[in-house]
Amino acid sequence: MHNNNFSQTGYLTRFYLRRDWLKILIWLIGLVGLMGIGGGKFDGLYGTKAAMNSIVATLKTPAMISMFGPFTAQQPYNVALIFAMEMMVFMGLFMAIMNIYFAVKATRAEEDNGILELVRAHAVGKYAPLLAATLELLIINLVIGILESLSLIAANMTGANAAGSWLFGLGLAAVGFMFGVFSLLMAQLSDNARGATILSYLVLAILFLVRMLTDVTNPDYTWWSPFGWIEKLSVYDQNIWWPVLAMLGVALLVIGATFYAYAHRDVTAGLIATRPGRKQASALLAGPLTLIFRLERTSFIVWLIGLFVLGASYGSIFGTVGDIMKTNPMVAQLMGSKAVNAATQTVILNFAALLAIVFVVLSTIPAMQIILKLNGDERKGWLEQIHAKSISRLHLYCSYVVLALITGSLSLLLGVIGMYAAGQSVMDTPIPLSRFLRAFYGYLPALLVTVGISAVFAGLLPRLQAISWLVPIYGFISLYLGNLLDLPKWAVNLTPYGWINNVPLRQVQWPLTGALVALAFALFVIGFMLYRRRDMVEN
Amino acid sequence: MIMVENVVEIEHLQKKFGKTVALEDITFAVRQGEVFGFIGPNGAGKSTTIRTLLGILRASGGAATIFGQDVWRDAVAIHTRLAYVPGDVYLWPNLTGGEVIDLFLKLNHQKHSAKTDTLIKQFELDPTKKTRTYSKGNRQKVALIAAFSTEADLYIFDEPTSGLDPLNEEIFQKNVLALKQAGKSILLSSHILSEVERMCDRIGIIRQGRIIETGSLEEMRHLTRTVVQVQTKQAPNDISQLAGVHDIKVDSSEVNKISFAVDSDQMSPVMAALAAKEIISLQSTPPTLEDLFLRYYNDDRQEVKRDAQ
Ligand SMILES: Nc1ncnc2c1ncn2[C@@H]1O[C@H](COP(=O)(O)OP(=O)(O)OP(=O)(O)O)[C@@H](O)[C@H]1O
Ligand SMILES: [Mg+2]
Repeated sequence: MHNNNFSQTGYLTRFYLRRDWLKILIWLIGLVGLMGIGGGKFDGLYGTKAAMNSIVATLKTPAMISMFGPFTAQQPYNVALIFAMEMMVFMGLFMAIMNIYFAVKATRAEEDNGILELVRAHAVGKYAPLLAATLELLIINLVIGILESLSLIAANMTGANAAGSWLFGLGLAAVGFMFGVFSLLMAQLSDNARGATILSYLVLAILFLVRMLTDVTNPDYTWWSPFGWIEKLSVYDQNIWWPVLAMLGVALLVIGATFYAYAHRDVTAGLIATRPGRKQASALLAGPLTLIFRLERTSFIVWLIGLFVLGASYGSIFGTVGDIMKTNPMVAQLMGSKAVNAATQTVILNFAALLAIVFVVLSTIPAMQIILKLNGDERKGWLEQIHAKSISRLHLYCSYVVLALITGSLSLLLGVIGMYAAGQSVMDTPIPLSRFLRAFYGYLPALLVTVGISAVFAGLLPRLQAISWLVPIYGFISLYLGNLLDLPKWAVNLTPYGWINNVPLRQVQWPLTGALVALAFALFVIGFMLYRRRDMVEN
Repeated sequence: MIMVENVVEIEHLQKKFGKTVALEDITFAVRQGEVFGFIGPNGAGKSTTIRTLLGILRASGGAATIFGQDVWRDAVAIHTRLAYVPGDVYLWPNLTGGEVIDLFLKLNHQKHSAKTDTLIKQFELDPTKKTRTYSKGNRQKVALIAAFSTEADLYIFDEPTSGLDPLNEEIFQKNVLALKQAGKSILLSSHILSEVERMCDRIGIIRQGRIIETGSLEEMRHLTRTVVQVQTKQAPNDISQLAGVHDIKVDSSEVNKISFAVDSDQMSPVMAALAAKEIISLQSTPPTLEDLFLRYYNDDRQEVKRDAQ
């Protein structure tokens, strides 16, 4: 056993788990907590039959189906059925994100920083590090899945049964593991961690959008997207287990491909070889701002296109979403055509308001990433020589901030425009762009403030700056699920996103916008003061 | 003698990282037009001193100026006249070497010049490759080429040759000497003592965050011992009794042949005593920088041992 391709796998797996224990624990608390608290709270929410029927009616609208998946259960409804429907896609998304994070971290990131080379130089099997990373993912998912199941059993919702709870947790574990494995494969294709992450999210985004579009048009086609398979589990209803096996089957196939790719490449190389580049810098590469832009160019483009496509995908279902005649024929007949028209617009704008939250949180991600790179690039040693040049800290800081804000605002803008452009073609009575742009003007200040908060963290606590991710994550959960979970107002108002009114349905609150922009500016100034006074972080 | 202006001036510089004291008391100066060698054991505080000089770290006490300006407050102004090469060169993996060189030049408001091309040829660097594919030495070359083609008054090198092969190391030394001839000032931290010995006008030795010695190699030699190998007609028995004589070794293969080390300031009386014994042959070896360094280094170790007991 000392001389085979897998020797030391067990030891490495234990080592990886020990290395990542804190991060695993944080994810575990977040995911299991969300599940348990949601489950515990639900019973009280839809206690009466009337409340139940009204939420089911809402959930059956195309808008809600696009966000949460189709509601397929039959009468009589119960709380557990509603919970399963609302949480499955949402939790699946978070499981996938967690797995992408750990998969890239355990493979390509270790390769980037040279650790894999050191490990492979020891008496460690050729495949051991990759297998250990795979096992780490499997263990993380299994533990979280089991705990999620247990938390559901403990929540003891009306209508829940143990079989359904186990299926829910283990189904999520399976979908998580499947996406983790996709990511392991992406880590073989790309030759750097960031590329691997981008590719992984691309896969997730495509599968998620296919799921969304097919759910709204014809749920049978949702089989085309492995992400959609979690909707087919029919938790607490028919409790169908075999999609779990299908996901594990796909995972196994992809693992095979991953090991094959791993075996056929060199350490630190990707399957896509790095090509030679320019002999001299272009005139555009001339200072910190253009340098950072050059480095972030790929992810900049990917984010902009990504948000536009996302916006357009959702926009393309505006026709179905606004079709009150179909979703609520009785009401529609009573209203008369003019009123139907107005009601349709309201439904669509309400949906757009919900989407705006998704877009603004997503747009915050690249902006915040760039701000946090101020310390991240420093740690990589890339800025040491820049500091030795006649570049002031203010110049460097502003370069990161400006690029972050440009990326964030353009992403948000493109999300909104994408939604408008695609919606335009499918609506009977189109809504003008200016109306949709309210979502942009309305939510942009929240993005600015959130990114400003991360700048303060970057200045104050460079080692703990990742804490700033809590703001968009919590903001997303509280607003996306806030209404369904009936969160109190103060809990929604904890993040800047919660302060914004229901744009584009309502008017933009310009005084608030002005105040938030001023607040954001102050935060960036404070961030700079903190950044200027301290040592640069090292390695 | 003309008055020389100090380009770098450091006085009682201190740097603490939380409770760890990295620099306790650093005082030295780099004069206009000289190559100043900065040596000391691992973890002594060389890189910390240099990073403080660059305004990357903020000093906890003391004062440091470059060109008479404060290194923290006036960092940007200073850096227009300065070039720096760190010991570990980390470059943006998806830029090419050529792009990075040009970028570094532009950041100092300078341009890719004929000199840059000459340096790229001299160091035999392929500037079209992405830096992710470079070896350690090649990454170092990128930083060196950028620094050498920068028109500056002060050049700071922190272990710049740790990854270079001997041929490239020689090219590095040639370029440093050319800078010196052009009247530039250079601060060079290095573990390659032969390199320091060959190029530096003056040397500072740092140990545990303190400068324990500065001066030219000549001056330092006076503070240390010369190794003497001697054969005399009469038995040199009582030499060991003289002040300043250490480590006597008797060469058993020949008659009356011994070797010993003598403190430089006790040289004359010892020579007189040897002359009285009628010298047959005499060979004296001045201490190399390595001897000097090892001596300081070992003092350090012994101190540590004493502390431990
Ligand atoms: N950011 C930091 N935080 C805490 N301690 C630090 C930090 N940077 C340096 N040190 C400590 O300061 C001391 C001096 O380190 P420095 O890097 O200056 O040594 P050096 O002389 O350059 O060594 P080497 O020859 O190995 O390059 C070391 O003990 C080191 O551990
Ligand atoms: Mg050092």
